[in-house]
Amino acid sequence: MKESFFRSMTWMHTWVGLLVCWLLYLIFFAGTISFFRDEVTLWNQPALHSIQAPQERIAQQREQIIAGVDYLKATAPESGRWGIYLPTEREPQLNYAYEKPRPEGKRFGGWQDHYINPTTGDSLQQPRETKGGNFFYRLHFDLHYIDVRTARWIVCFASLFMLVALISGVVIHKRIFKDMFSFRKNKGSRSWLDGHNVSSVLALPFHIMITYTGLITLIFMLFPYPAMTAYDDGVRGLFNDVTPTNVRTKSSDVAAPLTPIDSVLDQIYTNWPNADLTRFSIKDPNKTSATITVRASTGTLVRDQTPTMLFNGVDGSLIAKSVDEYSSTEVFYDSLTALHTGRLANPLLRWLYFLCGIAGCIMIATGCIMWAKRIRERMKKDQKASFGLKLVEGLNLATLMGLPLATCAFFIANRLLPLSLTQRADKEILAFFIAWLAVALFSLFKRAKMQWYLLAWVNAVACISVPLINALTTKGNIVSYLLNSQWALFSFDLVCLVCALLFALQAKKLRTQLHTPTPTTRSNHVTKNSLVEQKA
Amino acid sequence: MTELLQFSLCLLAFNCFALAKFNHYRDVFKARPSQKQSQQFLIAAWISILLSLLLCVIKHQGYGGLLFCGYMALSVLLLMIFYSFKPSWVKHMSVLNVVLLLLSGSYFVVY
Repeated sequence: MKESFFRSMTWMHTWVGLLVCWLLYLIFFAGTISFFRDEVTLWNQPALHSIQAPQERIAQQREQIIAGVDYLKATAPESGRWGIYLPTEREPQLNYAYEKPRPEGKRFGGWQDHYINPTTGDSLQQPRETKGGNFFYRLHFDLHYIDVRTARWIVCFASLFMLVALISGVVIHKRIFKDMFSFRKNKGSRSWLDGHNVSSVLALPFHIMITYTGLITLIFMLFPYPAMTAYDDGVRGLFNDVTPTNVRTKSSDVAAPLTPIDSVLDQIYTNWPNADLTRFSIKDPNKTSATITVRASTGTLVRDQTPTMLFNGVDGSLIAKSVDEYSSTEVFYDSLTALHTGRLANPLLRWLYFLCGIAGCIMIATGCIMWAKRIRERMKKDQKASFGLKLVEGLNLATLMGLPLATCAFFIANRLLPLSLTQRADKEILAFFIAWLAVALFSLFKRAKMQWYLLAWVNAVACISVPLINALTTKGNIVSYLLNSQWALFSFDLVCLVCALLFALQAKKLRTQLHTPTPTTRSNHVTKNSLVEQKA
Repeated sequence: MTELLQFSLCLLAFNCFALAKFNHYRDVFKARPSQKQSQQFLIAAWISILLSLLLCVIKHQGYGGLLFCGYMALSVLLLMIFYSFKPSWVKHMSVLNVVLLLLSGSYFVVY
């Protein structure tokens, strides 16, 4: 640690940020895409593109549930689970799903979906197998390929480091609020520092909120001790206590007719007259242990737990209902989780979340580039780069340029892989990691400006390929989406084109720099204030 | 339309915060701001930002707080682009901002 408080904070900000910046970039990148999880999944399933959200969506829900139960009774009477997924504003399709026979030793056999166009009532072609936006959602905190619990611990520590870096950053970058609207271009390190400051300060409340609430979502894994002290079965006991609908019933093999659905629906609409139902599921249908679970949307309430009712599937009696009035502790935990997941957001707020997420990615990227750039600038002409510097530069190139390319590879694979391929969804993910690995291997050899330039072009081509390949392999394209008001699909293609343009601009800028000699000193563009900050 | 009013107020507030600063004022108007002008911009900025927050919270409660944070981010981003790359456009942008504010404000009052 250094002598003064300011220096200590600077030291901490630099090292705490640098140690986990690449992991944080991945977490922020995947998290930002996850705000549009449903829209990404929709784009990945062209069979569902023709569906328009019905006009009288909520008014149709009762008939849709009754029709769904009739369909499932006729199609899968022996199944262990039925699910009726009602159309929402973001997922316009109606889905009558049932559980496939469970393989030996498994607790769940997977869903067999049957998609329906809610406007016309027609059955839809089975969509292609894909993880869609759920891949990015799980990647955001499960990191794929890593054991889930280990991954979450790693993500927790990275979030903790991020929180420390954010707070120390506010302390050390004294002028962030004064220079809030200033970005000095073509000023070397000063420009990188400005980019870092502006991207941090413009979404500072978001950065602090998303990092803190990220830790809160996993708080029971980080700190289970109070629950372990108060409950015999620890955290599970706590959750069962605060969630009355978490009732577990033992499955029975004795047959019993399912209660008339009308009576259950009457009870639901008596309790919730204007309910916007999202899911109606039945466990052990046609058995004595049958239970019916109904979930409703929370709308724009800052609340994560969905209102739920649990009914006995044989006599139709209400077993449990989620509480309407939470205690202050429950409100605190639940609202913080809701803030993090952003499921409450309407399209406007969702885009604002997305914008702030992008700002977070830029903040992390500029931070790690700046560190390497400053070390390079301080080196003498004949001095060789240390292993640490090479490692940081390699990781910068591999992560910052590799992730966008990997994401494009994921979407291109979605369109180009044969539909009959076994475990197709996993192959899409494999394409993501192969593309990322290729960039990582590429950056192992050289990490100079030329490599950034080449990868910028590769990324620009990859980004423009996504809407192009989509147009060539499906019936829709960006123009038809615009004309048919398919905003989710239109926005997806538009974002890809904007990214392609930005990467092309980056390549153009790098090309100019490649043809101009590198300045040997750093003093040309450094102001007095930046010198103080540059001591980091 | 209420969202447009909330955002216009937020944008106006940050624009005033920027104009209260010597360097940004000089970039836009090619003149030095007087002490009084800077103070007036600051007062206008605080009134505008508080009004924006108030409208967000009255209309959407907790959700409004989130929207307000988003509006702040978008406002700062837009202003950073204008002040850093096209300071001469700030005047036009400010006029557009005020027009939008008046239109959305009138709609809010009437309906």
